[in-house]
Amino acid sequence: MFKKLRKVKELPLIIVLVVISIFIAIVNPSFLTVENFLDLLKSNLVLAMMALGMLLILLTGGIDVSAASVITAVNVILGQTLMHVTQNILFAIVVACAAGIIMGLINGLLISMLKIPPIVATLGTMSMILGIVLYTTNGNWITGIPQNFIDFGRIVILPRTLADGRVIGIPIQVVFLIPIIVLTWFVLRHTVIGRGIYAMGGNIESAERMGFKTKRIIIFVYSLEGFIIGLSAVAHTSIMRQVDPNAFLGFEMQVIAAVVLGGASTLGGYGSVLGTLIGVSIFSVINNGMILMRIPTFWQKIAVGLIIISSISVDMIQKQKEEKMKVCVDVEGEELYAV
Amino acid sequence: MQSKLKKVFSSKEGVLFVIFVLIFILMSILSPHKFLSNYNIQSLAYQLPEFGILSLSMMLIIMTGGINLSLTFTATLSMIVGGLAMSSSFESTGMAFLSVLIGVVIMLLVSAVLGMFNGLVVSYIGVTPMLATLGASTLFEGISLNITKGGAISGFPFMFLNIGNSAILGIPVPMIIFIVVLVYMWILLEKSRMGAAIVMIGCNPKVAEYSGIRVKKILFQTYIISGILAGIAGIIMASRYNSAKESYGSSYLLQSVAASVLGGTNISGGEGKVLGTLLAAMILQIISSGLNIFGLNRYLTNVLMGFILILVLAINFITDYLKKNK
Repeated sequence: MFKKLRKVKELPLIIVLVVISIFIAIVNPSFLTVENFLDLLKSNLVLAMMALGMLLILLTGGIDVSAASVITAVNVILGQTLMHVTQNILFAIVVACAAGIIMGLINGLLISMLKIPPIVATLGTMSMILGIVLYTTNGNWITGIPQNFIDFGRIVILPRTLADGRVIGIPIQVVFLIPIIVLTWFVLRHTVIGRGIYAMGGNIESAERMGFKTKRIIIFVYSLEGFIIGLSAVAHTSIMRQVDPNAFLGFEMQVIAAVVLGGASTLGGYGSVLGTLIGVSIFSVINNGMILMRIPTFWQKIAVGLIIISSISVDMIQKQKEEKMKVCVDVEGEELYAV
Repeated sequence: MQSKLKKVFSSKEGVLFVIFVLIFILMSILSPHKFLSNYNIQSLAYQLPEFGILSLSMMLIIMTGGINLSLTFTATLSMIVGGLAMSSSFESTGMAFLSVLIGVVIMLLVSAVLGMFNGLVVSYIGVTPMLATLGASTLFEGISLNITKGGAISGFPFMFLNIGNSAILGIPVPMIIFIVVLVYMWILLEKSRMGAAIVMIGCNPKVAEYSGIRVKKILFQTYIISGILAGIAGIIMASRYNSAKESYGSSYLLQSVAASVLGGTNISGGEGKVLGTLLAAMILQIISSGLNIFGLNRYLTNVLMGFILILVLAINFITDYLKKNK
């Protein structure tokens, strides 16, 4: 049992999560209530979805700094569609996903066809998309989302009435999160494209020689991320009930940080769905815990920065130790590695 | 002679220079009274240095194969700490010169320490630059916010404002600082052994290690230099705005990456030219200020900047492709 557990790569992350949770729970017992947990889920659902999208990108060795601009743009498109075109929720979701896919596709085409480095290409599209969004909205909030969509966002699964008359339950937005988790897990674990994504991140040239069509994989991955962002926008708007064009300023860095905290490498090839979800959980538990412990908001950034740097540093130091422990034995011209 | 000219104009810097001249002429024709006005040229000369220095700092790190996402917060944190020391010493002693000296020295020291921090994490611990500096940027922003509580530090002696706003012999002081930085960077990258080492590390750190370069030490030093350059840009910004705040210059972060890449710096390291980055920074600066003069919405300016970035890289790709097929 323990041997099996030790093989789980995400174990150190889980320990970090548990330790932090215990610490917060000791300082403020209300952390461990069902209510707080549901709050946590609701406020970090979008981060989790976007992190899974970003995971796919990081695994290929790419990066998408336009993610926050894309979700802002989709939010605006979604809001306008609901207000001026149709109140049909299903139709609005399709529009949102299509918008996300198109923007992801543009990124994918720029990176695969024109060979523009991912960080630069998405930097360019970020600047363009955000510029267009802010120009058309003038930075103003869009309010007046139709009531049926607001009601949809308020639905809770397994409702429970509290003693003071409030109703709590699992937010409806998990119907977006869970399929995304299953989808990314399935793609990465059980499809040829998933193998290709990992292979590409390891070494793009060898992946190509192995017969993976890397250009197609890049286009697919960025489009899939766009689709996930589209759904995230639906979830976000249904929670917030309005569209704030500035809500996601700098959010792309939070997403990347959460994925990386979950053990993914920005150089590609390393990372898992479970790790990413744990990374997001650590991130959200820390943020939530600091509010519960009444730590001033200014300190929160310092804590987050320190946690990112120290957790990755510890990981790195451990890897270096492992490397040193490897002994290289030369047996009749064949190199053998023994740990 | 003719072949020499041809060579100059077919180099990346030559192309950038031609683009710069074309845009300059275009802007001048479209708005001769405003764009070519003394006022505008002056303000361009005052605005360029802070952006230019940040771009050079970014270029240096990109050349080693990294990226410095904490660049602007290095600048603002050092200007906040230095600014706080300056204004409080001015308040208590009333000696302007001494306070300015203290402030500037502290700004440079803090920026060097912040650079050292990044260097330590990246080179000795071995964290990927993007993550290390991403964490550092959150950290630096948090510390800045903690000091300022979201406000701005002000109350600098009048003398300090001279750094960003006055001119010697008609040349703006920031421009003089910028020229000194340019010359230093040129010597560092083109003439020094460290420059050669930086290029080798950027190409392939393992090979560099095996050819006797102390990769960790050089990387560490590079991040310190990058930090100090950000600190210098911070001094100019604090002086120009007569205050220090954590959000100053935050738009320069991604723009400096854009300027480096436009200037021919290879985003995966090993290649970069001071002249190219300078020209790219100049191009971005005149575009943004020119469009501002035409009254174009500043959001649309962003759109255009992004478009230009992608366009130039697309053209680069196509010309490379055509060359290869020849």
